[in-house]
Amino acid sequence: MEEPSPSPDPPTNQFGSLNDLAHELASLEDLATRGSWRSILDKVSRARSLNLLTSPHDHLIYLSYNVLAFSKLRRFSEASNEIDTLDDFNSNYYKYETYPRLYPNRSGSMIPFSLRFIHAQLPIKLGNRQEGLDRFYLLLKFIREKIKEKESNNLRDSVRIWKRRENSILNCLIGHHLGDKEFSLCLDLIKDLINRDYLDPVLVSKLGYIQMQIGDIEGAKGSFNRVETMLNEKRSYEYFLGEVQFRNLVNRNKALVYLVGKDYVSAVREYEECIERDHTDVVALNNKALCLMYLRDLSDSIKLLEKALERIPTIALDETLVINLCSMYELAYVNHSEIKRTLNNWIVHVAPDDFDASCTRV
Amino acid sequence: MSTAPQGTHSLAFRVMRLCKPSFPVDPPFRIDLADLFVGEDIFDDPLAAANLPPLLSTQLSKSMDSSDLTYGSRFILQHPSDAMGFSGLLLLPQSFGTIYLGETFCSYISINNNSNFEVRDIIIRAEIQTERQRILLLDTTKSPVESIRASGRYDFIVEHDVKELGAHTLVCTALYNDSDGERKYLPQFFKFVAANPLSVRTKEITYLEACIENHTKTNLYMDQVEFEPAPHWSATGLKAHELHPADNSSTVEVFKPPILIRSGGGIHNHLYQLKLASPESAQMKVEGTNILGKLQMTWRTNLGELGRLQTQQILGTPISRKEIELQILEIPSQINLDKSFSVHLNLTNHADRELGPFEVWLSQDSVHGKKNVMINGLQTMVLPQVGAFGSSDFHLNLIATKLGVQKISGITVSDTREKKTFDPLPDVEIFVESD
Repeated sequence: MEEPSPSPDPPTNQFGSLNDLAHELASLEDLATRGSWRSILDKVSRARSLNLLTSPHDHLIYLSYNVLAFSKLRRFSEASNEIDTLDDFNSNYYKYETYPRLYPNRSGSMIPFSLRFIHAQLPIKLGNRQEGLDRFYLLLKFIREKIKEKESNNLRDSVRIWKRRENSILNCLIGHHLGDKEFSLCLDLIKDLINRDYLDPVLVSKLGYIQMQIGDIEGAKGSFNRVETMLNEKRSYEYFLGEVQFRNLVNRNKALVYLVGKDYVSAVREYEECIERDHTDVVALNNKALCLMYLRDLSDSIKLLEKALERIPTIALDETLVINLCSMYELAYVNHSEIKRTLNNWIVHVAPDDFDASCTRV
Repeated sequence: MSTAPQGTHSLAFRVMRLCKPSFPVDPPFRIDLADLFVGEDIFDDPLAAANLPPLLSTQLSKSMDSSDLTYGSRFILQHPSDAMGFSGLLLLPQSFGTIYLGETFCSYISINNNSNFEVRDIIIRAEIQTERQRILLLDTTKSPVESIRASGRYDFIVEHDVKELGAHTLVCTALYNDSDGERKYLPQFFKFVAANPLSVRTKEITYLEACIENHTKTNLYMDQVEFEPAPHWSATGLKAHELHPADNSSTVEVFKPPILIRSGGGIHNHLYQLKLASPESAQMKVEGTNILGKLQMTWRTNLGELGRLQTQQILGTPISRKEIELQILEIPSQINLDKSFSVHLNLTNHADRELGPFEVWLSQDSVHGKKNVMINGLQTMVLPQVGAFGSSDFHLNLIATKLGVQKISGITVSDTREKKTFDPLPDVEIFVESD
């Protein structure tokens, strides 16, 4: 591959804004934030056909956005084909030191890490679960080797970044095993995370939810008590959680214990405290609506979900919440197709490209 | 599932099974901005390490600003556990699912008035009908619902403990005055089947081994499995102590591993040691059946959904006065392939008269087919008579023709004079090594 000529940017201003990192990156990121994934596909296609991408890292970042867009739109085969156009990720083509004039004094891989993650998850979405899990476990091994390498070279910032990647990949694996009801594996992976000092209240809360899902209610209560202790012991920022978020987490955990014990009134009370503190707490809103249903108040549960969608659409628009609302419609109305169609039409106007509208079952 | 009659009814029943909600899980495509904007090793460069973080965090706040109506939270990873796709949002039951014996059937029932007119004086009844009985769950006959307005609803929730297997029908009926003053009757039927969740098999010597097999489609968390012994027995549960030497003390505090029986045929065994409660109760041993007790099980599924079952009385082997007792005293510790080995046996005569002579052989058993352990030499051994309450030791020469774990099975003794054959000895396992 021929080395292109360096860009005219002065070296000290390489990180001033997003556009310094890649060609029109700010625009790509804006589209992604709005959920306009189809527009991203158009933009990438246009940039490629007009030869607007000059350096290797531009190509890689645009390719990453393209792959991500296909994945978000559930076009998994196209995402996979796009990744296959690359050489092996570890090839020299994708190393900074291969282009010393473009990237002076820089070495290492310029592959955006998200590509490795998407490459591992795609086979699972395409139905080839074993291949995906194998890729994930190989990726984990790769990350751990990187951590060792950076540690031995005293690169503290890199170590921090790679450890964060290890944490996310482990969490993702737990999610996949959980989806397949491989509970013992999930519990082992969580133990692994805790042993590696990735202990934090959100993780321990999720451990509690897993225990509840299994039916181990006493175990779940133990985990939630642990979370409360963590709240009392340390400042919330040490766990990268806002004060309000931490308190709401504790309240929501309490609500679940009440819910499991069929004390829906107390559960509603806990959720209301959350909503009072943070009116955008969509988990509290959704779960409170369910409690109202179990209290025989179908009308109010429907109103609650409808209001949430109206007031805070970009936060409340979640497939699970919409499925719940549609289930309630099916129960409340003999002729429910009309009201579901109204909801569906509203969703089409407001929702991002990646929203799965089939959840309305219209 | 619902069968409603044709005709112009203003009312209609809508039903939703109200078991516990569930936690949906679906790992998403969500990424950290540092994994998209730049190469993965860029932080090795001290210039990048110093200047990138502020740029990234500014961008993160911008993308996640809820007042700006963005969907940043759908693709950006804020917290590592977001990658799990397990948010704690609860999902209503999406289908009727399978109902198992021992569980509680719970249902939300809504009567809708889908006409343009009010209906009055509504008597609502809900009952469960099975092959054997009808159980009333709700009856508003004594205090009828005064009215349901046009497009209005009357809701109720019913619960029923499932104690029978097989077909169940939830029958909902409404008797009401419609807008013309006509008294109308609306019956609706919702069918479901109650299946058997577990089967329990027991094996007993003076120990009781219970094997619980899970026939459901979900994993079962066994909350409690208890053996309730019959009055003259006492029982102690025996558990292996699990050792986790690699465990860090912080994880041992976090949780102890639950006992989960895998769905679709998984099994878990429980062992109980049974002792007679007192020496006097030995006299209570009467010929015939020997009741040991019952097994009580409580299990939990999703979000603690409870199920409960109790077995019938578990019977021990009938006590019979055995005249002849045959037992193996010693088997050599080293048994080699195709080499004869000697098993030391004892024959005891519990009767008050002389018995015998006897013949001892290995019975051919159609289940096992060809035997891998046989008598070496004459296939039948002859033993002389044994006096009343006496015993006699003897040796049987056996030979094993296959390596590994094998069974000595079917050692049978018979009294040739009284022409009585006794039950064969239970199988004994041996390990056959090569030379």
